[in-house]
This record gives sequence, structure tokens and C-alpha cells, in this order.
Amino acid sequence: MAVIIDKDENQILGNLAAIYKSRGYRRYKLGCFEEYSLYQENKDFLIGKNVITFSDLGGRLMAMRPDVTLSVIRHNEVPENGLEKFFYNEKVYRQSAGSNEFKEINQTGVEAIGAVDEAAIAEITALICETLSQISSDYILDVSHMGFTEGLFDEFSCERQTLSTLLKKKSLHDFYRFAEKNNLSDELVNAFCVTVNACGKADNALKEAKKAVLNDKMSAALSELERLQVRMNKFGYGDKININFSSVNNADYYNGIIYNGFVSGIPRFVLSGGRYDKLLSKLNKRGGAVGFALYLGEIERYFKRDDALVDCLIIYDETTQDEALELADKTVKAGNSVRIAKSMPTELKYSRLVNLCKEVKQ
Amino acid sequence: MINVALPKGRLGEKVYELLAEAGYKCEEYTKDSRKLIFCDERGEVSYFWVKPSDVAVYVELGAADVGVVGKDVLDEYEPDVYELADLGMGKCAMCVAAKSDWTDDTSVPLRVATKFTNTAEKYFADMGRDVEIIKLNGSIELAPVLGISDVIVDIVETGTTLKENNLRVFKRISEISARFIANKSSYKFKTDEIKKITEKLIKAVEK
Repeated sequence: MAVIIDKDENQILGNLAAIYKSRGYRRYKLGCFEEYSLYQENKDFLIGKNVITFSDLGGRLMAMRPDVTLSVIRHNEVPENGLEKFFYNEKVYRQSAGSNEFKEINQTGVEAIGAVDEAAIAEITALICETLSQISSDYILDVSHMGFTEGLFDEFSCERQTLSTLLKKKSLHDFYRFAEKNNLSDELVNAFCVTVNACGKADNALKEAKKAVLNDKMSAALSELERLQVRMNKFGYGDKININFSSVNNADYYNGIIYNGFVSGIPRFVLSGGRYDKLLSKLNKRGGAVGFALYLGEIERYFKRDDALVDCLIIYDETTQDEALELADKTVKAGNSVRIAKSMPTELKYSRLVNLCKEVKQ
Repeated sequence: MINVALPKGRLGEKVYELLAEAGYKCEEYTKDSRKLIFCDERGEVSYFWVKPSDVAVYVELGAADVGVVGKDVLDEYEPDVYELADLGMGKCAMCVAAKSDWTDDTSVPLRVATKFTNTAEKYFADMGRDVEIIKLNGSIELAPVLGISDVIVDIVETGTTLKENNLRVFKRISEISARFIANKSSYKFKTDEIKKITEKLIKAVEK
């Protein structure tokens, strides 16, 4: 597999923390455990449904945290005016994609909670672009809006779930069958098809999406996306924004903009987020929230690998022990890593070999 | 370059022929070759030949940008991919079948033999029917004949195998055909190429 990220994980995390701090986001540190009921009541908000649980000493059912956002919202007051701005870098525990095992995954992300306005959305969108650009310059941010898709679904009197699934899969052939079965009007069929196909570079896709607008909700969502795109063009991120209304999130939690970040060469999205005011209502809080998370677990195998584990490998025998120790000391003082060994270690990569014995033992 | 995962066998060969006609020909491809990867000289397309049930895995994991897979596989494994076209080939149906004289005894859980455990579980859960799923990997028709299951959930093309074993279809769960799928990330970075190959393939199928 080709290496595509020329930094290591710690470098990226350090750079991201500096970026978030420079925008006034405070570091938020969480405990490892959370009451299981928080996840049980909001299962549909989680990426995976399985959670590691255990009973604590007081008999409460606890969970190893599978998600950060729920905890951030639960444990913080939502300001009536202004925004609380947090970033985090935490471990989460969830089922890894394509396996039946739990995995510890590093996740970093940003949350803005309170009176969310378009400036906050634009700032978060720009932060996402900066975040993705730390991984690779070849990235795309897929943007959608729940107001647009929910507004579209409002016009149909048939099952929302089926429409949502067909939109997510871009499965127009199955939609035509569905339309025929449900006697849908040409106007509705056309609006759905335009919504599926209005994807790609934002400037063009937004123009195309206008042809699908059927009500005020869709129109308001599209206008918000257009204003966002104007701002992103000003920030220089305009050509990185893709519109894709097939990114549909759970409408019980999300109500506005939706984000999915992709990096060339990585098969799944590496970042996701959006506006989730409805999650706050579910947790009996008033106000809005917008945020995103970068899934480092998705990118860990693409980090640059350091082939040479040590700069210098010194092989010694019984007569050259002191010489080896002396040379090793000098090497370390010169700022290089060193390993001394009596025989050639297997599977150790090194930049330079110093052989202090006549016959190297294999 | 577009990487295409094709299912080994008649369906894959037919799709390759359609793509070749549509301009995605690979000079080094021959039917009898045992090679698994073919690239065209212009470097526009490469083909992988994989087990039909694995096509979705190759596409979901990004080894292939697009691929051709049966709807039965998509329903069973639910890969996170775009489903861009119904090729209308390899048509068959996912069915519930049983011995011709079978009647459902609703006082006990229904024993269901199948290769498609998720599909079967979902179907009977929607009906609210209590079931015991028996996972088999082949010769599913044998299960009710030998009495290890009451019904089977399986793909039925012509119904000849069922008939010869004194079984019949009791319910068609869904219609199956070959679908053209795309990796979600590839679709962002190769949008125009994937849209172009999809359109050309649809046109070739409609001819």
C-alpha cells in the first residue's frame, strides 16, 4: 500500500491542536467512562451500535466511551448567547469497520455549542478544510443540508426511510420502480433525480440543485449553502467543497449542514460532522451545536512509516564490549539512535552498521 | 484510471464485453487466461476478476473504484457503496421455498436453512415470525428434504432444482439482478470518469 501521509499521527495532532487553539477553541478532557444509559437512549446517534459495558463499584451500568459529542453536550451548560468552543483528542471504543472486534480509536474533533450562527458554520467549515489539509492536500469536503433533503421528503406522502435509503445509495433505477409503484408525479420524480445528480463541485452543483426546490425549507437550505460557498470561496477553500445530498444523516439528531471529509486514496470518509441542534433537545438542553470529528483510526495505516528503527547498529563480541559502549555513547550524543547487539537482530532496520567483531553472528 | 472489479463467470464476461464495446477494451484480455488483473495499453481501465460475492468487498475497500455485483450480495452484506445502475442481467429472485405439501405450524419457531442469513433474518423479523436460522454453504434444497429445516431462503432462477427435489416457491422476497456499484471515495475523486463509464454501460445494456 502506497504511503500517502507524509506526517506521523503525533505531528498531525500537535498541528491540529495549535490550529484549534488559534481560533479560540479550548481543549476539553473527558473521563474514560460514561453511564451506559446515555448511549442506550441515543443509539442512533452513534456510528456503531455496540458498546463495551461493565458495572461500576456502585452497581451502575457504565460504558467505555464510543463517542465524544454526547458526553460534551451532556456535561456542559449551553450558553444562551455566544458559543462555547471546544476541541478534544480522545480515545473511543467501538466495533472496527468490517470486523466483530472492538477497537481503541483515536478521535480528534471540534464542537461549538450555543447560539450557532452562519459565522460559526463558516468557521467550522474552514476548520474542517484546515484539518483535512493536514492529512493531504488532495481532499474533498462533501457538504449536504438536512433542510434540503427533509424538505424534499416532506413533499412525498410515502415512506421517508425508503426514500432516504435510495438517496444515500444514489439508486435511481430502484427509485423509478418505487415511483411507479407509488404513482409519484413527474414533478416529484424530477426533484428526486435532480437531488441525486446535483453532486460535485459546489458552484455548479448548487446551481443544478435549484431545479429541485419544491418548498421554502429546501429554498432556505440552499440559500444557506450558497452563502457558505461564497464565504469558502473568499477563504480559498471553494474548490475543495463538493455538494452531495446523498449524505443523509439521522433526522432525529441532525437539522442543518452535514459534513463528510474524504482524502484521495482512502476508501472511506475520514471526517464527519454537522449541525445537531436536535441532539441538544433530546438531552433537554436549549440552543444549537455544530461540530466534526476526524477518525484517526481510518487513516492510521496510511501514515509515513519510519523504515529505519535505529540510525546505527553496532555488533560487538566479547573482546569489543567497551569499544561498542563507547561508540554507542558518542552516537547518542551526536543526536542519533543506536542499538548494540552481540548478534545480528532479525527484522531490525538500521541506517548504518558498525561491525566490531571479526565474524558477524547471524 | 478506473479499476473495475468483475465477478468471475458468465455474468462478468458479459459485462466485460459490454464495457469493451463501450470503449473500455483491454487488449491483453482473453477468455481462457488465468490472469486475475488486466490493464489496457492506454492506462484508462484495469479489470480484476474476483469471486462474485467478494466484488462488493473490493469496491467498499477501494481496491476497485467500480464493480458489478448481484443485488442479493448487496442486500446480504449491505456494503457502504453507491449503487449506480441496474444492469438487468443475471435476473433471478430471492425466495422462500419448502416441500410442496408444507404448511406453516405457527406454534413453533420456523427452521430456515439459507446461505443468506441476514436477508432471511430481516425478512422474518419484519413479519414478526420467530425463526431458527441454519447457515448452509451449498445444496440448500437438501435441508427440507432431509428434515433439518422447514423452509429455505435462496436464489431461484428457473425453479428446476426446486421442482426436481419436490419443492416449490411459497414467497418471492425480492427481485435480483446485477448492479453497477462505486466506492464512495472514488466517486468524489473520479466523478467524471465514473459518471462516464456508468452512462456508457447503461447505453450498452439498453441496446
